[in-house]
Amino acid sequence: MAVNSSAAEPQQARGSNILGDFFLRVIVLTIVIAAFMRFGNVNIGAIGQGLGYALAGVTVFLTFRVLGFVDLTVDGAFPIGGAVCAVLIFGGVRAEIAILAAFVAGALTGLATALIDILFKIEGLLASIIVITGAYTVTLHIMGGKSNVPLLGKETLISRHSRDFRNWLVEQFGDQMRRQSTNLLEIMIFGLVVIVVLVILYWFLRTEIGLAIRATGKNDQMVRATGLNHHLMIIIGLMVANGLTGLAGSMVVQQFGFADVSLGFGLIIRGLAAVIIGEVLLRPRTVGQLLIAAAAGMLVFDISRAWIFSALDLPTTDIQLVSALVVLAALGTPRLYDQWQSYRQRHN
Amino acid sequence: MLRLDNVSVTFNAGTPNEVRALQNLSLFVEDGEFVTVIGSNGAGKSTLFNVVSGAVHADSGRIELDGEDITISPEYQRSHDIGRVFQDPRLGTCPGLTIRENLSLAAIHGRRAGFRRDVKKAEESWFIEQLERQRLGLEHRLDADVALLSGGQRQAITLVMATLAKPKLLLLDEHTAALDPNAAEQVISLTQELAEANDLSVVMITHSMQQACDLGDRVIMMNQGKIEFEISGEERENLTPADLIERFHSLGSGAELSDRQLLA
Ligand SMILES: Nc1ncnc2c1ncn2[C@@H]1O[C@H](COP(=O)(O)OP(=O)(O)OP(=O)(O)O)[C@@H](O)[C@H]1O
Ligand SMILES: [Mg+2]
Repeated sequence: MAVNSSAAEPQQARGSNILGDFFLRVIVLTIVIAAFMRFGNVNIGAIGQGLGYALAGVTVFLTFRVLGFVDLTVDGAFPIGGAVCAVLIFGGVRAEIAILAAFVAGALTGLATALIDILFKIEGLLASIIVITGAYTVTLHIMGGKSNVPLLGKETLISRHSRDFRNWLVEQFGDQMRRQSTNLLEIMIFGLVVIVVLVILYWFLRTEIGLAIRATGKNDQMVRATGLNHHLMIIIGLMVANGLTGLAGSMVVQQFGFADVSLGFGLIIRGLAAVIIGEVLLRPRTVGQLLIAAAAGMLVFDISRAWIFSALDLPTTDIQLVSALVVLAALGTPRLYDQWQSYRQRHN
Repeated sequence: MLRLDNVSVTFNAGTPNEVRALQNLSLFVEDGEFVTVIGSNGAGKSTLFNVVSGAVHADSGRIELDGEDITISPEYQRSHDIGRVFQDPRLGTCPGLTIRENLSLAAIHGRRAGFRRDVKKAEESWFIEQLERQRLGLEHRLDADVALLSGGQRQAITLVMATLAKPKLLLLDEHTAALDPNAAEQVISLTQELAEANDLSVVMITHSMQQACDLGDRVIMMNQGKIEFEISGEERENLTPADLIERFHSLGSGAELSDRQLLA
């Protein structure tokens, strides 16, 4: 942090230059991914999957980066959101309402972590581990004591439109599109959800409450001196953040067609990887760019993982190990690069 | 306005690192009064501010602001009536946000944060006007990230932010220490004007004997968590830095002057 740097050059208002660079990088990344998928034989289902999980990446951005709060709650908020959504849809509730309920469930999980942190002064890392541990049982109870709730034959956001969309697709582009119709539909619907959520968040983070939440992560002393309750900001921040993960859980459940207690396992580490991948590849500066980068990072993560699976022809039992290795690569590469840079500098 | 009755603060009580930062300190500041506080490093000056603002809680004693007992009220609530510039330039503003966004935060002062986005035009133009008067050129950089500013520039902004919401009491902790002499002069005269225009009560900590003599109605000298002496009234009117330094020395051991103070 350049705190006492002498007066910097009168800085240009962050103009179109940087903005342009960012969107240029987004476009280049999109092209690279498209080529990669085409020639690496990655099924486009990986995009829909990435979009389903993307908001969990945004959660990690909000907790770790914006609030400066080491929060692992996503591992609990995700299956809870998924379970709430599945149980409601199973009971005949409209998918939209089930999704909102999943958001609320995720938000309550975040609230639990925030309250443990604030009331008992247990730091975020431990507080969230306590919450995840308890959340496992809560998820089981929500699902009526079963570890799995299938949605076969129920109307989800995807299945509601899938037949119409398939017919339309086949009509327009011929029969070879039949196989991809569900994947394409997922990409469209989830893409829309993610974009809408990001736009709302972008607005929210620039309101007074949003500013106060951002300031809490950087300088909570100043927040208190401004007459704002920084604990309240941590509560709101963790609730909004984990609500997004609950929402992601509901999307993935509808995509898979079932809810499962083990659904969120290891998600926190993927979220962290997503944030770092987004930062390294897109170099975001402004709030809006940071949000886009976190979501895009999750996409890149899922697509890379899918590529490894198809390239090495691995069984699905290996999924967690592959995830761990991709995370290691995402976290480790920038650090190795830094070490190499400073080594080179010392030996020049 | 502000009343402290026998306030004590002890850090790390019962350990070898025990520090009695404030010892049965009593102080009264009148409405609209401007008090300067001097004292050597570690005398407890910043701790005095921390205990008034609620960043540190008193172990014993009582604190009243405007007739209201605030001894145990939380820091953020007291802040509705108290504006503050910290000794550490990093504490007053938020890096990662622009000057304008910091202003938006300061403008919330005294009410709840809502979903509003922009500050009122009147507040913004008042803010810009004050920045112009500091002659640091910051009024042209409203969209710059605060992290890019120097410590002195951040203190100057913090001063304006702290007075924006018209608090009853202004606490200034060596707020010009990080500024060059020219800028310090600008900021000091702005401080005086802001205090008079808004009829604020001000307590200002300084290591500059010159500032302590030039500014305000009363000088307080702190030493080892206590108020060693006060100078007010006629004696204060005719006070020179040389007098102050002499009084300082007459205290003998415990009160040592740094070079900075002797030169000031
Ligand atoms: N949070 C804290 N924990 C432990 N000790 C503290 C804390 N804050 C202050 N102290 C101690 O209390 C004493 C008074 O510190 P304080 O910061 O009030 O001094 P000061 O008069 O402001 O000095 P300076 O002129 O250097 O700013 C010092 O001995 C300091 O080490
Ligand atoms: Mg101090």
